Amino acid sequence: MNLKISALEFVNEVKNGNISAEDFVSATIDRIKNIDEKLHAFLQVNLKAVEQASQVDKKIRSGEKVGACFGMPISIKDNICIKHSKTTCASKMLENFVAPYNATVISKLKEQDAVFVGKTNLDEFAMGLTTEFSAYGPSRNPWNTDYVPGGSSGGSAVSVSAFECVASLGSDTGGSVRNPASFCSTIGYKPTYGLISRYGLISYANSIEQIGPITRTVKDTAFLLNILSGLDPNDNTTIDNDKDDYLSGIDSGIEGKKIGLIQEMIEEGVDPDILSITNAAVSKLEGLGAVCEDVSIDMVKYSVASYYTISATEAGSNLARYDNLRYGYDFPVEGFEFNSYISKVRSKFGPEVIRRMILGGFVPSTGHAGKYFLKALKVKNKLTKEVNDVFKKFDYLIAPTVPILPFKIGEKIDDPVALFQIDINTVMSNLTGIPSISVPFALSNGLPVGMQLLAKQNEDKSLLQAARSLETTVQLPEVPI
Amino acid sequence: MVTEEEIERVAKLMKIDVHDHKEFVEKVHAMIDFFDMLDSAGVEDEEIIMRDLPLSSLREDKHIPFEDRLIEKLKNYKGSYVRAPKMV
Repeated sequence: MNLKISALEFVNEVKNGNISAEDFVSATIDRIKNIDEKLHAFLQVNLKAVEQASQVDKKIRSGEKVGACFGMPISIKDNICIKHSKTTCASKMLENFVAPYNATVISKLKEQDAVFVGKTNLDEFAMGLTTEFSAYGPSRNPWNTDYVPGGSSGGSAVSVSAFECVASLGSDTGGSVRNPASFCSTIGYKPTYGLISRYGLISYANSIEQIGPITRTVKDTAFLLNILSGLDPNDNTTIDNDKDDYLSGIDSGIEGKKIGLIQEMIEEGVDPDILSITNAAVSKLEGLGAVCEDVSIDMVKYSVASYYTISATEAGSNLARYDNLRYGYDFPVEGFEFNSYISKVRSKFGPEVIRRMILGGFVPSTGHAGKYFLKALKVKNKLTKEVNDVFKKFDYLIAPTVPILPFKIGEKIDDPVALFQIDINTVMSNLTGIPSISVPFALSNGLPVGMQLLAKQNEDKSLLQAARSLETTVQLPEVPI
Repeated sequence: MVTEEEIERVAKLMKIDVHDHKEFVEKVHAMIDFFDMLDSAGVEDEEIIMRDLPLSSLREDKHIPFEDRLIEKLKNYKGSYVRAPKMV
């Protein structure tokens, strides 16, 4: 069974009767069993996946209406709720939490006959960009298992890159879909804020985070976006996209389009290899008829500080609810006074979560809010204005997804500020709400490098067309695992 | 300058026992130092724009019966109560 096919190829193969969903899902589960010990992409595997796929085959055979996914094996980041399955957020604090309801994205995929093969690893509560902060151990990059896969949706990106599923859902608060997509050579998409419902995504920083697909091709992302996008009464931040079809016209090309190369994202700290790869990407786009120019967005310099201030503040509030009383790890209540019990059990959060919660308590507190939190909100506002101005002149923006190459596991884990700075090219999209996509573009020292394209709010369809154009210029070797 | 006492105070407010104060002070301090760059962003005159959401755009607040008994899914309960440590 050839597992190395795209989501759309899978659909066509099943639809045409060339393969059965059951055989494909069974082979997928076998692959997970064979290689995931090395990669640790999954926290749980769905033992009923093969049976569920066989139900889809039965529907096909009996001529019943079958959903657009035709039994497609999809993995789900473990901060998205699937009813009756564990949702741990890779944290001890949610060790025994079984979700009592489906996230909207899960309901939509189930309606279309997707099969969930398992829940994927992440940095605890999606706080991190290496997947090293998972309470259950790090995931590993399939291109070289000594290296981080990026994060926080590292398990999702690994599972797609290493053919352990055909597509995955991650969540992106400051780059958590695009960063691991870049490090693992997959497509990673952060939609316009509100395009995909967050209902059932365990909250980290509500005002900026979005669920996003991780796939092998841009067309697969468009296919999933057709299923996932649109208004949801359970999330009043969702927007009406008028049932846009993201697949139609995806090969329209980019001739005559204007693309701005963001200077602040290729300056200080950018790896020289990344810089030359970025220039090569720009040349390819020019070769397709686009007009590329340099562009400056001054507030990018302050975007990481603004992002961490805002996200930590929201995280401090969102994580206040975890008291280990209703679910969590085993720690008896006997002999403790209420508040001392809560403080004691909450010390089981991992170090990165604790640091961000302390920051989240500090930056909006009396005497400090004006210096940090309110100023961060002002930077966010000014950045949004600058980005909107830039889009009066340009159709798209481009920058490397991550300014450095993937690094070794353990190399940066003790330097939180060094880790912060890796986010400089991705947080702008979250702070301003615009869509962005990481497209695998090259290898450097055997490790993948992704290019990021960005468009103005609600121009998701156009952005996917540009990403598809860039994708057609690339042919990377197969992942060596 | 953030002091160890301030971090301890915030940790207490956030209801977290921090064991290794020194490590947390150093790392949290480095992070807050990094945030100080916001001072040079020149945004003092910038307005903060919030998204207004009228009550009319919220979904109706109505009771929707739930098929499962949620309390039975919890690890520590008695009757319809969650078991918790005593409050002194």
